[in-house]
Amino acid sequence: MAKGIKDRVAIIGMGCSRFGERWDCGPEELIVEAFTEALADAKIDREQIEMAWLGLFFQEQSAGKSALPLSMSLRLPNIPVTRVENLCATGTEALRGAVYAVAAGACDIALAVGVEKLKDTGYGGLPERTKGSFDDLWLPNATAPGAFAQLASAYTAKHGCDPKDLKRAMAHISYKSHQNGALNPKAHLQKTITEDQALNAPMIAYPLGLYDCCGVSDGAACAIVTSVENARAMGYKDMVTVKAMQLAPSNGLEMSNTAWDGSYLLTTRIAAQRAYKEAGITDPVAQIDMTEVHDCFSVTELVVMEDLGLSVEGGAIKDVLDGKFDRDGQVPCQIDGGLKCFGHPIGASGLRMAYEMYLQLLGRAGKRQLNAPSLGLTHNLGGHPFRNVASVSIFGLHSA
Amino acid sequence: MTYGILSFGAYLPPLRITRQAILAAVGWAVPGLRGLAAGERTVANWDEDSITLAVEAGRDCLAGIDVVPPHVALASTTLPFADRSNSGVVADALNLSTATSTEDLAGSRRAASSALARLAHGGQTTLLLAADCRETKPGSTQEMQYGHGAAALLVGEGAPMAVFLSSSSRHEDLVDQYRAADADFDYSLEERWVREEGYLKIVPEVIEEAAARAGVSLSEIDHVVLHAGVDTARALAKRLNIEAKRFADPLGAKVGDIGAAHPLLMLAKVLETAGVGERILVVGFGQGADAVLLQTTEKLGALRAGRGPTHYLEHHRVTENYTQFLSLRGQIAIDFGIRSERDNRTALSAFYRKRRDINSMLGGRCRVCNTLQFPRSLVCVKCAASDSQDGESLSGLTGRVKSFTEDWLAYTPSPPYIYGNVEFPDGANVMLEFTDFTAGQVKVGDNVRLVFRIKDFDTKRNFRRYFWKPAPLLG
Repeated sequence: MAKGIKDRVAIIGMGCSRFGERWDCGPEELIVEAFTEALADAKIDREQIEMAWLGLFFQEQSAGKSALPLSMSLRLPNIPVTRVENLCATGTEALRGAVYAVAAGACDIALAVGVEKLKDTGYGGLPERTKGSFDDLWLPNATAPGAFAQLASAYTAKHGCDPKDLKRAMAHISYKSHQNGALNPKAHLQKTITEDQALNAPMIAYPLGLYDCCGVSDGAACAIVTSVENARAMGYKDMVTVKAMQLAPSNGLEMSNTAWDGSYLLTTRIAAQRAYKEAGITDPVAQIDMTEVHDCFSVTELVVMEDLGLSVEGGAIKDVLDGKFDRDGQVPCQIDGGLKCFGHPIGASGLRMAYEMYLQLLGRAGKRQLNAPSLGLTHNLGGHPFRNVASVSIFGLHSA
Repeated sequence: MTYGILSFGAYLPPLRITRQAILAAVGWAVPGLRGLAAGERTVANWDEDSITLAVEAGRDCLAGIDVVPPHVALASTTLPFADRSNSGVVADALNLSTATSTEDLAGSRRAASSALARLAHGGQTTLLLAADCRETKPGSTQEMQYGHGAAALLVGEGAPMAVFLSSSSRHEDLVDQYRAADADFDYSLEERWVREEGYLKIVPEVIEEAAARAGVSLSEIDHVVLHAGVDTARALAKRLNIEAKRFADPLGAKVGDIGAAHPLLMLAKVLETAGVGERILVVGFGQGADAVLLQTTEKLGALRAGRGPTHYLEHHRVTENYTQFLSLRGQIAIDFGIRSERDNRTALSAFYRKRRDINSMLGGRCRVCNTLQFPRSLVCVKCAASDSQDGESLSGLTGRVKSFTEDWLAYTPSPPYIYGNVEFPDGANVMLEFTDFTAGQVKVGDNVRLVFRIKDFDTKRNFRRYFWKPAPLLG
């Protein structure tokens, strides 16, 4: 009988580069920036790292294929490095590889690094790319905002709500994330905005305006993990442990069948239920203290609140407008600014979310520190609502 | 079994530009166009060409007809491919079997009328398609006078709506206008010369010969379909002593001259309202002339219902935006930004594996759970049964919009790029790029029909790929 991952692996060091339009940096510099912080945090020698995972999505655009970008940037001593890629869940996949390796006893200490260098394209938004030789023949050349914007039309149609109310809630989501991002010196976007600014911004993909979309950023984030036993042996007492790491990819149902109504994220619901089971969570609203969810677009965050069970179905507009997910609300969301303002270097984002959980749990989040949180959730959604990879991870404090 | 015309069809792209809008834009340079600046002309959308126009006319022609043509002929002076069977693409889009023989007819505005003259002598059942999408130089008279469109006839053994009485053809190298193989535009000579030496001398010869071969006097002809403008028709009526009102409407006010397809379009319009037993003379012109004499039968009334140009004449959207018209037809290069540089190379071996999925929109229906799905797959998306799907085309189904967006970031020659999830009966859902919709027009729950269109241009390699797109239902 599988035991699950709960409280078997501890995170003993984390680092995160400053995110943003890092015209000064390539992927190598970003990797080194995040790793240097994590290594100092873990207080270990580089040589103690036995295995490593690299998360990197836009390989041609960014650092290149294979394990080499990580192995070479850090001049690792020829240890095994595995490159993983799972769309926007890539960073979490790198962490999952490292966590499972130490849980399996394959090594004592493992490294996970996620990185993305996006701002060498010469234009805004994510890089253009082929979807594959068959899909290019028939799928629309959709952009990410256009794919996610459709959640809005399906959501309003399903719940019979006024599109204006949804747009207002979306504006509040972005307003809230800018408030949080302003407290984060590493965030890409550190200025506050008003809800009116969000409401009146130029249209990107109806009904998503400019401020409904997250930043396209360069950045890297990094974690060093070990088994709880090993952490204890190293002298750690109160530590951050992994409570759950679950992944649910689409199997084609959403894109090919009418069973999905287009208003929610099927895979997020599945991954969340599995993660709650693995972590022993029965009442997420009461038990989870904070979340970093995949707010690539404001509307995504809104429907994810329902998919994670933090709002009832059809109830997210009211909860958002009531401030339930604001930093002083019942379940604060995107305390670090989220993808919206911290930024979204694809391969790094899952690890960036874990980084904020780690800082908050250890009470090291500075001006944005919440009041003694003990359990946090991160969520990634790679791909588009109709075809995606969802990950839900839960991190918490563990006393040895 | 009788040989004759078994069905007809037409297609006109919904977009129109008013000739006043053209004059307003170019009149400063070419004030002489003022005399032509009345009515409107049809404009193919950026994703339409002679292949896609012909597909729509073919669908109109074959709708509700219980005949599967063993032969498809496509006539046009603007076939998008000089070497790749254009008619083969059309046959696929019409979901005809690969055993269908196909033939491209080109090189003359008479490509379709000459084919009809040949078909008048019998032969295997043929779907004769004609389409033209001639680009025009800004400020030219052609820009005012031309339109884009297509027409179709199904000819063969069966219970025809019209039978052939006779035909006649002449070739004469009277170069009234021409387009060199490597040229973008037509070059036209003086109209009065063409009328007097061409229409009034060559055309009477074929008309009189066709009438004589049928033993019919000119006064017994009820409708004359002449590929020419009103003034020329009037002059010819006088020359042949035929009442001018027997000359069919050349559709200049609402369509314009659609090239090789024009005689068939006018014939389709006449067949919509002609009486039983009426004689129709179809005349094609251009470096010679063709005349084909037909007589309608009592089957006409039942067979013509619901088809023909009229509903396409009504289903239209007018623009006054001249630069948009130029851009849609590739006559000015708007800077659409770096995103428009996307490389649209087609993996043609992958396309070949999936050619019927793409060209015929062939999905799969699961024999175990009856779920329809696109694309087809080895494992059913609903019940996971293996190897359980039979091919079934979705192209004729009405879809329902489940979700959509208007994307101002993605590149399209006609912003915004509208796309969304569309539901079809028996469980199918497909995310598709929409066409012929404008911003603010699509709503969740709307019904849409599928049309065969250009999906992407590969400008580097001079290739274009096609797929099906949701479009507004015909009114």
